[in-house]
Amino acid sequence: MTTADVSLRARAHPHLVPLWRGLVVYRVVALVAVLVNAVRFGGAWAHPALGIAVVVAMAVWTAVSSARYLRVGDPLTACLDLVLTVLATASTLLVDTPERVAAGGSVITTVWSAGPVLALAIALGWRGGLGGALVTITVLFGVRRALDADLLFDAQLLLVAGLAVGLAADTMRRSVEKLRAATALEAATAERERLARDIHDGVLQVLALVRRRGAELARVDQEAPALELARLAGEQEVALRRLITSAPVAGPDGTVDLSSRLAGVVPAHASLAVPAEPVMLPVAVVDELAAVVREAATNAAAHAGPDAGLWVLVEDDPAQVTVSLRDDGVGIPEGRLEQAAAEGHLGVAGSMRGRVQGLGGTIDLHTAPGEGTEWEIVVPRRRRSSWSA
Amino acid sequence: MVRVMVVDDHPIWREGVARDLEERGVEVVATAPDGAAAVRIARAVRPDVVLMDLQLPELSGAEATAQVREALPDTQVLVLSASAEQGDVLGAVRAGATGYLTKSAAMEELVDAIGRTAEGQAVFSPGLAGLVLGEYRRRETEAPDEPQLTPRETEVLRLVAKGLTARAIAARLTLSHRTVENHVQNSLRKLQLTNRVELTRYAIERGLDVDE
Repeated sequence: MTTADVSLRARAHPHLVPLWRGLVVYRVVALVAVLVNAVRFGGAWAHPALGIAVVVAMAVWTAVSSARYLRVGDPLTACLDLVLTVLATASTLLVDTPERVAAGGSVITTVWSAGPVLALAIALGWRGGLGGALVTITVLFGVRRALDADLLFDAQLLLVAGLAVGLAADTMRRSVEKLRAATALEAATAERERLARDIHDGVLQVLALVRRRGAELARVDQEAPALELARLAGEQEVALRRLITSAPVAGPDGTVDLSSRLAGVVPAHASLAVPAEPVMLPVAVVDELAAVVREAATNAAAHAGPDAGLWVLVEDDPAQVTVSLRDDGVGIPEGRLEQAAAEGHLGVAGSMRGRVQGLGGTIDLHTAPGEGTEWEIVVPRRRRSSWSA
Repeated sequence: MVRVMVVDDHPIWREGVARDLEERGVEVVATAPDGAAAVRIARAVRPDVVLMDLQLPELSGAEATAQVREALPDTQVLVLSASAEQGDVLGAVRAGATGYLTKSAAMEELVDAIGRTAEGQAVFSPGLAGLVLGEYRRRETEAPDEPQLTPRETEVLRLVAKGLTARAIAARLTLSHRTVENHVQNSLRKLQLTNRVELTRYAIERGLDVDE
């Protein structure tokens, strides 16, 4: 890959750059240790020429890999680093005499061999660090052929370094993602509030006025078109107000506000009574509750009669959330739902009941001919908030 | 005749509502475009009912409500807002507003609400009942020392939030219409108790009147 290719590639995790810089510094310092070691013990090597070649190769690779780490920091380079470093470590068997190595002489790569362990830890997290450390330890053992105190000490250091750096990289990755999500949410909320203000100041006021003046015209002059105009403006006014408040308020841990979701679900003419504070529940629970409310509202629109009103109430308790729906339509005759179920129509009641039971909740229906229909849905909160404990 | 003042920063809306109210025989004695002007003008004209928008320049609707109520205890405040900002509505009610309607309410509803507000009754939309219930639920866990709803008041408020009229609630709970109104009014009054003197007076009243 050419330099241009590398620089064009977007870095996946720019916040990990400080860790990569640390690794490069470590690698260069370790290379100095390798050189010192070669100067001190090179005279006793069986094949000094080969030893010098290996050390030069290590220096070149240090330069190449450092450049890659600083530009891209990809797992592939880290893996290649591990392979080359392991080969360099294994070359000790050819460079030095087996007797000297077994007697505790240092391997040619010395502390430089920890480089890929750190690189893998940064690129792949604690698993990468652990894997790199185990491979490096195995190769060290293969070269030294002795389970002595030195080897055990090296093994401990490699494991600790791999795991610690890996966990640090994982934490950094996670916190940056959280920060990114929070920033995006903040921007979206600010934009929504700006839009809501503009709409409130202009469009909503005019729509409300058209509705009111139209209704007055119709009252005074019996003008049917004006009444129609008023009705349309009124519907759009309510729909728009719902829209600007219904953008979901998202919480930090995968929860969303039930109230704002329901604002987008219940029909424009319905009343929606909710607490001032957002009712935060897991997304899956909110989705199911919204589906249940939609079914009940659709059912009410179909059966309650043309003039029936619909009221929805949301109550938030530490242990449970209650959603009540009431229409003042014709009601359902006693036994009608049971009859439908017996005839094999699962129908609205069955489907709603199934969803609510899936959430571990209960659903009750109160109805009688001429008395409308009242649903009460209670869903337990799985996790209690800390302040309510 | 009820003397009304209309407070809204939107001129088209403000004049439109004032005109509609006058056509229906409600006397509009003043209008004001912002919260500070509302307080100033209200002191001068002493209206029976202030129709208050919430999102106002200079002084918010909630703050203006508090100042009007403090300066003129006999003047009632009815919130009429296009805002669905639930916290704002609750703030205005805690500041002493005795009712809340959205701007999408029909003219008949508004005139009726003004009449009831002038008589000192609470004007509860289902939406306001939901907010008030929510506020008391929050208190149960976060502020148990503040006045709470009685089970009966909770029951009544839930039915208001579900759209039942006071008459329907009275029939369902086999209470008198008057008792239902009292429960609704008490639930608002307890929200408006803010200082120690008021709270002590409330506690004494409750102690003398526990069979409520």
